[in-house]
Amino acid sequence: MAKTLKDLRPVYVVGIGWHRYQPLSETPYVMLGLPAIRQALSDAGITWPDVESSYIGTGLLGMAAGRAMLKHLGATGRPLVHIENASASGSAAFRHACIEVAAGIADVSLAIGVDKPGVVQRAFTKTGIGNLADDAIVPFTHFALLTNEYAHKHGVKPQDVALVAVKNHRNGALNPNAHRQQERSLDEILGGKPVSGTLTALQCCPVGEGAAAVIVASEDAIKRLGIDPGRAIRVTASAASSEGAGAHAAADAAITKDTIADALKQASLAPTNVDVLELHDAFTVEELHYVEAMGVCKPGQAIHLLKEGAFDIGGQMAVSPSGGLIAMGHPIGPTGVGQIGEIAMQLRGEAGARQHKGAKVGLAHMVGLGAVCYVHVLQRP
Amino acid sequence: MSTPEILKPALYAAEGTSTLPDHPSLRGGKCQCGYVFFPLQTYGCEVCGRTGDALQPVALSGGGMLIASATVHIHAGRTPPAKADVKPHTAPFTIGSIKLDDGPTVRTLLVDVDERALKPGQRMVSKLVSVGSGAQTIVDLRFTTAS
Repeated sequence: MAKTLKDLRPVYVVGIGWHRYQPLSETPYVMLGLPAIRQALSDAGITWPDVESSYIGTGLLGMAAGRAMLKHLGATGRPLVHIENASASGSAAFRHACIEVAAGIADVSLAIGVDKPGVVQRAFTKTGIGNLADDAIVPFTHFALLTNEYAHKHGVKPQDVALVAVKNHRNGALNPNAHRQQERSLDEILGGKPVSGTLTALQCCPVGEGAAAVIVASEDAIKRLGIDPGRAIRVTASAASSEGAGAHAAADAAITKDTIADALKQASLAPTNVDVLELHDAFTVEELHYVEAMGVCKPGQAIHLLKEGAFDIGGQMAVSPSGGLIAMGHPIGPTGVGQIGEIAMQLRGEAGARQHKGAKVGLAHMVGLGAVCYVHVLQRP
Repeated sequence: MSTPEILKPALYAAEGTSTLPDHPSLRGGKCQCGYVFFPLQTYGCEVCGRTGDALQPVALSGGGMLIASATVHIHAGRTPPAKADVKPHTAPFTIGSIKLDDGPTVRTLLVDVDERALKPGQRMVSKLVSVGSGAQTIVDLRFTTAS
């Protein structure tokens, strides 16, 4: 029978690093990725030759971005591979780095997400199968439609949905790596530029540039390299899936439900055990969908918990303490890797002003176009 | 007057179905396994993987129920129109998600609707509208509220 991550040898997050997520600039991607990797190496207290393999999550850079960047750390001749999985590129890179270490093929692996905005043709437009009006329906309209459906079904007002953005901008204002670092009032959010349906600009994630790096290691490597075991955070579950048959609009929430359930089962945990949750909140309504899909509350009830402060830092479960995609930003490749870094920081108790006190269990969730879904559970030993 | 040119003849036809003769039908497919889908393709069934003759064309009625709608305020319009002499989409326009009576859910532009009055659950029907920018009459499929 197939095994889960927990059946293999333990794997730990030992180093994390970022280049701030920011609007498109003249900075070459190499100089976004390298500082993030150097920060992660320094955080782990190891050197580049200790890293045995690299997984590069990138969606927009184009072919073969990795070696041209990594060689500036000293070309060690070690294997590297690029992983493109739309918004979930970084999450997929992290999963495969974990699997390699857990399987015993490497002792230390790097997951690096790096991207810059660029025009990449989406392959699904090249299937040769026509469509009625896909050129008029971009992601924000997909989620505007889901917002309309959710609001109608559960009697929720647009100003309630926008409260997700108030919380996530508040968290992002405390995060030096966030694309958006400014608190926003509900009036500012609702009064902003209308985008699609009831979504306004500050309820949609900014897609900029940046990088996030995570180094994972085995117990052998932690001992051999003298890594501080007190700061190592164990990855206790990795689950992934793709959309099933019968195209339906709420596919993202449906695969989220199954994939989170799978990950929690692997880690022998219940939804209520999660202290810190990083979600794919590219658009406000998604946080409500996914918290409900996770089983934290019944469908339509997430707004009430949000209003009570249950999802605030210091609340029942901190949801997107990094600021989430809405404030931290969504540079594509880095996004899923950055979520893991945020959770590791929270579980180490090193998140400073964003610290959710006593955090022991963290869950990272990402969906990507397709749709695909990734969930990881991290736990403080 | 010449017969209008259909912009995407692979996807819909001016003729309706026997159940809804007055509204354009959509060109869907049905698999031997029973799965009904839109648009028609013969690459393989999304449910069971059957291919070739197992996938047969079926005309889907141009009627359904509104699941959701959204008025788009910003549209970059990076994709060129489907054909020269076709007007590009310019914001604002309204998109609807419609569950067809015959099964599949489609998303496309809505016309002649009062966006504030649109409510999920409402009955919608297909219609052809002129989208040409030149002398030739070119029509494309839209949905509107059933009267």
